Amino acid sequence: MSLSEEKIVGMAINKEYAKFTYSITNPDDVFRKPEALDDVVVLDLSYGNFAGLFASSLLAEAGAEVIRIEPPGGDIARKMSPYGIMIKDAGLPYIVEGRNKFHITLDITKEEGKEIFKKLVKKADVIIETFRPGYMASLGLGYEDLKKIKEDIIYCAISSWGHFGCEAEKHANQPSYDLTDQAKGVIMSITGEPELDPEVPQEYKKPLKSGNWMGWYVGGAFATLGITLALFYRRRTRKGQFIDCAPCEGLFSIANYLFQFYHMTGRKMIRAGNYDYAVFPYSYFKCKDGYTFISGFTDPNWSALCEIMGREDLRQMFPTIKERLTPENQPKIQHEIEKWSSSYTSDEILQIVTEYSRRPDRKGVVVTGRLEEPIDVLKREHWHIRKTFVEIDDPYYGKVLVQNSSLKGMSETPGRIKWVCRPIGADNEFIFKKYLGMGRTDLKKLKSKGVI
Amino acid sequence: MGREDFVKWAEKEFDIKKVFEKPEALEGIVVIEFCTLILGPATPSYLSEFGATIIKLELPGMGDTMRSLTPWGRFPPDGAHAMGYLKESRNKYSVGIDLHHPEAKEVFKRLIKRADVFIENLRAGTLDRWGIGYRDLVEINPRLIYIANNGFGQWGPYVERPSYDAIAQSESGIAWITGFPNELPLKAGIWLADYYGALVSAVAVLAALYWRNRTGEGQYIEFSQAENMIRALDWTWIYQCLTGKGRERYGNRDVAICPSDVFVSKDKEYVAIGCATDEEFKGLCKAMGRTDLAEDPRFSTHLERLKPENQEALYPIIKEWVANTSWPEIDKLASQYGFGAEKVHCAKDMYTDPHFEVRGFKWTVDDPVSGKVVVEGIAPKLNKTPGRIKWIGRPVGVDTYYVLTKYADLTWKEIRELEEKGVIGSKWKDMPGRRPPKTWDGQSGIVYP
Repeated sequence: MSLSEEKIVGMAINKEYAKFTYSITNPDDVFRKPEALDDVVVLDLSYGNFAGLFASSLLAEAGAEVIRIEPPGGDIARKMSPYGIMIKDAGLPYIVEGRNKFHITLDITKEEGKEIFKKLVKKADVIIETFRPGYMASLGLGYEDLKKIKEDIIYCAISSWGHFGCEAEKHANQPSYDLTDQAKGVIMSITGEPELDPEVPQEYKKPLKSGNWMGWYVGGAFATLGITLALFYRRRTRKGQFIDCAPCEGLFSIANYLFQFYHMTGRKMIRAGNYDYAVFPYSYFKCKDGYTFISGFTDPNWSALCEIMGREDLRQMFPTIKERLTPENQPKIQHEIEKWSSSYTSDEILQIVTEYSRRPDRKGVVVTGRLEEPIDVLKREHWHIRKTFVEIDDPYYGKVLVQNSSLKGMSETPGRIKWVCRPIGADNEFIFKKYLGMGRTDLKKLKSKGVI
Repeated sequence: MGREDFVKWAEKEFDIKKVFEKPEALEGIVVIEFCTLILGPATPSYLSEFGATIIKLELPGMGDTMRSLTPWGRFPPDGAHAMGYLKESRNKYSVGIDLHHPEAKEVFKRLIKRADVFIENLRAGTLDRWGIGYRDLVEINPRLIYIANNGFGQWGPYVERPSYDAIAQSESGIAWITGFPNELPLKAGIWLADYYGALVSAVAVLAALYWRNRTGEGQYIEFSQAENMIRALDWTWIYQCLTGKGRERYGNRDVAICPSDVFVSKDKEYVAIGCATDEEFKGLCKAMGRTDLAEDPRFSTHLERLKPENQEALYPIIKEWVANTSWPEIDKLASQYGFGAEKVHCAKDMYTDPHFEVRGFKWTVDDPVSGKVVVEGIAPKLNKTPGRIKWIGRPVGVDTYYVLTKYADLTWKEIRELEEKGVIGSKWKDMPGRRPPKTWDGQSGIVYP
């Protein structure tokens, strides 16, 4: 074992098992293992849309050969970057999602470009596109056209409103963005400052988006779910198919019981901020170094929390879930818990709770964890040891740190990052040679015509 | 094919009336689930929509704790289902079995012999301690795909730290970057890390199934929901590493796309507006009657617009325009000039929009036990092997006889003996969320005997 055993087994009660799982999912062994999807070729035509880019990232992490097709000037997604920060030709998010992909340029609106694209389709298994509904069909490159060239092609189209239904027609002229996906995906309407809290200024009582591109990530993950299902089916039957993915449906389908709640009551859910109106205490509490999450909802877990705080009187004051869920009581309980929590740091609270959880006479389970600043996330040893982040020294983009694959814990075919990104058109020579047999002279000609 | 023809073609291709005539992608795949709450059970739910057989193992009588999770103690229809549980119970079979019992472990091992996938979300190492962990199961079935979902993974300093959705949201940093500047960080209004974690975990299972189809090899997968949230934080990490600055909160503004923010319209709707390409931005300027802005060197290209000082200069102009324009007008102009605009939808907007009925996203299930129920449909739409909802949920243990007869090769006599000993249990507690609705006829929906 290359890591000290103490770090690997950590707080484990079953230390043998932790050692065993480490031995079969050790991140240092990743490159000695095969890749699940390395017989799959993906053409990713995403434009200005990280749902498509993330979908192909997931496939690329699992080993698929992803060929990014950008128009000769590059994808506008390269220019989506916080405050416009660029490293050469790529913004920061693009570098994150450029992982393991080959990058070619091709103008598919030109006749010659279309022909070349069709030749690539013959060699491909999956196509991902994020254009407006029907755009590809209007170029003569829709699913029906491409199916004639490659019968078992899997064609995945991602768009805010989907590719059929009244809104798909109505919005056929509009682009889709993370924010518009989130706006339509309903989750945003119930995320934000608590509406019932009189201390929150009125101006903040409004819908709030997720800080990251959650609409795009959820949309992309659902697209990949569809693609991997289709790939599995194709291996069994040699049949391809068309996949339509609307990120807003993905968001609404993970929105707890909102659908049922409206169906039953005809009412709107209200924004609860960091409270969960159905579970309390289950929230963030002040501590010495900011805020930390503490829970103790069910009676045994509440008893445990009161015992840890040395506040038997609190348990007696609010003995059942009913008293604890009473809206007037919640701020009181919050205040009492903070009297205790604010004299410790989040790590101290974690330690106290962990020690309590090992007592044979414990009354229940208390769960805690810091409301972490992202800058501190990077310092946590746990992530460091598990290689949650990887640093890559790229010959073109330089030294960068990016988040690792969510699929890295697969014992036989772990997900991985081989390289972070490639410049616009950097792989034209390799890909056009490998798949179409084109050489230097051909490429020169195409370049002069503006096709690549 | 023109655009309009395409949309019509797609509508026909995805006709929801034809769904049950078509095959299922995961037909024949058997998944055993020993999970509770959301992060675990939601993974097999996604697989169940596409044809996998999901056998959910639950404690006899009471079943999964999630069966209690519902707002205001309501269990529609007629005391049958917790709203929180309803969306993850679809298409599953429920088997009542107490795995603490040595004889139950033998039954469990028989099921594992027949299984393709096993999924659990207990604390790391628990099943191993019980003698039915991966090391034991792989001996019985080397082709098994075993996936363990939890908060922090199966090894490392924080292994065995209990985790909830809210922990993954706070420790990954997503809560910190969600919220208004100078106000408190906020977690998502939903159990985001649970559902999104289960979703990517389902992708991992499918990648493993694909690999097994190629090579015959099964595998072990450990999946951490907190790591999965960290993965979804787009440019956070590379930005911090390059600039040395921490990522903060920007409210509804997307500082990587400009314009992209939420504004209040004349008719008091919250309206999201977004454009990245210069063409789309020109469209917005035309709609606002401010074509001069598109020519302004501060705003003419996306990279210029993204500069902090130019963002500050541009947003007040859009804010004012939206404040003086109603949402229907903005919607019309956005469609005409081709920029991104959408009002913030609440559940009602989605529920009542005919668009989602055509798309089968509003799905009516005629459930054999509970009758007609309307539920949310399935997000990815596959034209040859579309997902479907066959039933919405089952009373605890109702499928015990059927599943053990079909998959565990137990005789009727053995089953009765095991039930008498309390090893297995086909009877639910007479409690909301566990039992069928009161209107149930006592027979319909029972598969065997």
